[in-house]
This record gives sequence, C-alpha cells and structure tokens, in this order.
Amino acid sequence: MTEAVGQLPQPAAVHDVPVDLSKLKRVGARPKFLDYLVQLWDFRQFTYYDARARIQSGTRRDKLGSAWLILNPIFNGLTYFLVFGLLLNTSKGIPNFIGYLVIGVFMYQITSGAIMSGARSMQQNKALVQGFSFPRAALPIGVNLREFLGNVPMIIAMLLIVLVVPPAEPITWRWLLLLPVLALQFAFNLGVGLILARMISKVNDITHLLPFFLRLVMYLSAVFYSLDRFKDHPTILKVMEANPMFIIIDITRDAVLYGVTPSLMSWAMLTAWASIVLVVGMVFFWRAEESYVRG
Amino acid sequence: MSGDSTVPGTPSDPCVVAENVAMKYKVISTEEQSKPPSLHRKFLRRFKPNPNTVTVNALNELSLIVRRGESVGVIGRNGSGKSTLMKLISGQARPTSGAIHATSTPIMLGVNAALVPELAGDQNVILGGLAMGLAMEEIEARFDEIVEVSGLEKSIHLPMKSYSSGMGARLRFAIAACGNPEILLVDEALNTGDAQFAARSKRRMDELREKAGCVLLVSHSLTTIKDMTGRVVWLDKGDLIMDGEPKEVTKRYMEFTKLLAKGNNDSAFALRAELRSSLEMVNVVNAPESSRSPQVVR
Repeated sequence: MTEAVGQLPQPAAVHDVPVDLSKLKRVGARPKFLDYLVQLWDFRQFTYYDARARIQSGTRRDKLGSAWLILNPIFNGLTYFLVFGLLLNTSKGIPNFIGYLVIGVFMYQITSGAIMSGARSMQQNKALVQGFSFPRAALPIGVNLREFLGNVPMIIAMLLIVLVVPPAEPITWRWLLLLPVLALQFAFNLGVGLILARMISKVNDITHLLPFFLRLVMYLSAVFYSLDRFKDHPTILKVMEANPMFIIIDITRDAVLYGVTPSLMSWAMLTAWASIVLVVGMVFFWRAEESYVRG
Repeated sequence: MSGDSTVPGTPSDPCVVAENVAMKYKVISTEEQSKPPSLHRKFLRRFKPNPNTVTVNALNELSLIVRRGESVGVIGRNGSGKSTLMKLISGQARPTSGAIHATSTPIMLGVNAALVPELAGDQNVILGGLAMGLAMEEIEARFDEIVEVSGLEKSIHLPMKSYSSGMGARLRFAIAACGNPEILLVDEALNTGDAQFAARSKRRMDELREKAGCVLLVSHSLTTIKDMTGRVVWLDKGDLIMDGEPKEVTKRYMEFTKLLAKGNNDSAFALRAELRSSLEMVNVVNAPESSRSPQVVR
C-alpha cells in the first residue's frame, strides 16, 4: 500500500477550549512522597495478600512442599561444611563451627533471597503493573514480606540446630535480640531490593550480574571463615567489619551462639545501614513511579 | 458534514481530558539497513543485538474532551491507535508527550489485564480487587457475584495458568467489572467468550454503563458502537479523522472500509482526506475556573 500518512490535510479548525484542569487529576501521576507513603499504607491489604498467596503457591509443585524452605539452607550448610569445614579446614579456631556456619549460611540466605526477589519484583509482575494502578512499591514490599514470612520456619530450624547439634548451646535472654536483627535486616533487604528493582526495570542486564554480586557478598561476609585471619591487616579488617551482611551475621552469632551481648557499635552501624538504605531505596524507587508501567 | 450539532468542546463537566497526547514506540526491526555498514559498525553490531530500531507513531498528537454522562465509541482499522488511546487513558502506558487528566482513575475492562498465573482464580479475584483499591470486606461481599459473572464455577479454585484463554479473559472481565468505576474503558471485552458469557457480560456492562460517569468503548462491531454510544471518534493510522454522531461517523467509516476492501485505495484515501479536512479539532487550554471570562462558559 502506498499511503502517505503525512499527506493528511489539516483539520478545518482547531478550537481553543478552556478546561479547568486543576479539578482533574493527571492519570498515573506520581504523588508527593508523603502521599505516596500514605497510599502504600492504604494498599497494605493488597501487599499482605500478595505475600501470603504466593508463599503457598511457591512450593506447591514439590512433593515435600514447604519442607524445602528448611531443607534448602540445610543442604547449603552441609555443602559448605564439607568443603570449608572438612576439606579446606577454614574452621580453625572457631568454636562450635557447625553453629557458626549454620547461622552464617541461614542469615545470608535470608538476605540474598530477599534481595533477589525484591530486585525482580517489578519485572516479574509487569502484567499486574500494567493492569492496575496501585503504588508500585507495594510489589517489592510484598515480595520482601513473603520472603520474611517464608523464612520463619527457616529461622526456627536454625535455632533448633544450634540447640540440638553438639556442642549444644543454651537459650539465653539474648536470643530475643534476634528480633531487632531481623527487623533491621528486613529494612536493609527491602532498601536494596527497591534500588535494584528500579535499575532492573530500566536495564534488564543487571539481573545477570546480580548472582555474582550476591556471591561476592557471601564470600566477604565471613560465612565459613573467621575474620581473625585478617587481624594483621587492620584496613581489610575495618572494611570487612563495616559490611552490613557481616554485621547481621556477627550480631546473630554473638547473641545466639556465644552468649555475648553484641556491641553497641555493631547495633549503631547496622541501624545506620538499614535506615539509610531503606530511605534511599524508597525515594529512588518512588522517583521513577510513573515509568514502571512502560516496562 | 453534519457533525456540527456535537461540536467537540464547550465542556460543561469534563470527565476525561486528553491534552495533546501522542505515543511513539521504539521497536526493533529485522529489516536490513540499506546503507552498507562501516567496518567498525559491523564489529559493534556483534555485541549489540538490536542495532536497527524503528520509531512507530502509534498515536499522533490529539486532544479529546469527554464530558460526564457521555459514552464515546472509538473505531478504526487495526493499528489505528484505538487500543493505544485506551491504554493511555487507563494509565497502562504513559504518553510520549502530552497528558491525560481525569476526575478519577479510569478502569479498563479488557482482555489484557493479566494477573498472576501461579495463583488460583479465587486468589486472583482477591488480589485484583485489592489492586483496584477495594477493601477486603467489599471483595468478600461481592465474591460470589464475581464468580457468577465469570461463569467459572468450580474452576475458580484452579491456578490461573491452567485456564483456557477464554476462561482467563472471562475472569479478568469479572474482576475489572466489580470495581464500579466512574470512568469505564471497554476494549473489545464483549467479543470474547462464548454466547452464554456474552449475554452475561452484556448485562453487567449495561449495569456498569448506567452507573459510570462516562464510558469509552473500543469495538470492531459497529452495531455495538451504534447501540451503546452517543458519540464516535474515528482514528486512522494514529490520526483523528472524525468526531461526531455515531450514525454519521459509522456510515462514513463503512464507506471507507468498503472502498478499501474493493481495492479502491485512492478513493478511500480521498474520502479520508476530505473528512479530515472538515474535522473540527479541539485544543485544550488550561483555564482555572476563577480566571475564566464568563462569556466563554456556556
């Protein structure tokens, strides 16, 4: 067909029509930040339902069902125990290496799982985003909530292993400190997830880099070795100790495994990390609110 | 042209205002570039998988004012920008330029409001309802009604990925239809599903239309358009061709498509050009009520 679209004649007339646009809302407009937070709160039922419904469907295809939520980190822990504990013997000088390793692996998996799903939440729910207009941050939040709820059995399993596997550790009041750690960890994971979710919605290639980045974090977080190896390198030690993942694992080990009250410094650092990352993540994500629909 | 009785404009109570909206897509074309690429381009191309992007003008700049109580039909050939316009109004896509203003969030009743395939139908009903901003109690109260409209019966408890495309479309329609929206957009929703569902959805649509503040309807069925709307907009290749009485616009549109079907392209495009040149377009000027001179308001 040889149609020249450009040859369409000009319309007969163009009438200027005054309209009071201030009475209308622009469709898909990004609300102010505080209004956005209020909107998110209004959509809390959606967020919560989204999280709940997907936990149940996540393992429905497996014969062992939800047991995989616990089996997965246990097998992971076993693998690391074989390689690092027995073969490479990185356990030197670490008291209760199994407990040490289990806490490291489990706590790391909580963060890596949450960051991974948070980062992919926009891209994987494109249909939902294009179908309905809700505050988009409800999706990463819902995904993090789902991860958190799904991790509850895993955390219980972690505590049981520490209690049962010799050398068995006693329960102290410090076990309660696990709750603030998990809360701060949640905030941190969500913040990172929000930042990555926006980046991935623009540049999908980042999904390919994410596993490497997460693995690097694991190797740097003293999951299966002790930071004592760097005691002669104060700079490296400082950097390693500032790593939020390490702080999370370290505080948990102190409180649950070694019966030591974690230092105020660690708490301050972790609180700073979690709150800064969460605020930056929320603002960063919100600023692109109108663009997620484009996909 | 006798469309003067409905001169677009003089909006007493605008519900949806499209202000100079245009939509362009950048897509990848497999077509080879005519110029032979230079050596370093050839080298670069190995790393960039999509060197040949083409801009598609899905919708050229246009303004549209829909008043409260109006039902507007949108017609046009495939690729005319009908669905693009609906997507822009519903917020499913953001215009490349211009803006859509509306009194409340328009709800699209379509077949492409996809949900979460892993979840069961009933879970999708709740999730979709919550995503539209309904409260849990409201959804529970109307759950049976939604399932009835969808006609899924027992299948509502199966994962949505096990549904046939017709079943999925029916469920999506039922969910979207439970919102009682003020601004309702309908994109071919009546054309999916079997006869039984068509009757049920038509009934639900009529109810919604009565309640809604204004309705925009895209359909290839000119009968549907004539039955249901009081004003029709004809788009072609992203341009507005006509805007007026349903009878008049559909008649001209039929003439146009008949000419095309006969292979009589030249006279078809002559007709289109003639109609376009007698079109009266609107240009939206933002004028806050207080500063507007009283003569302009009718």
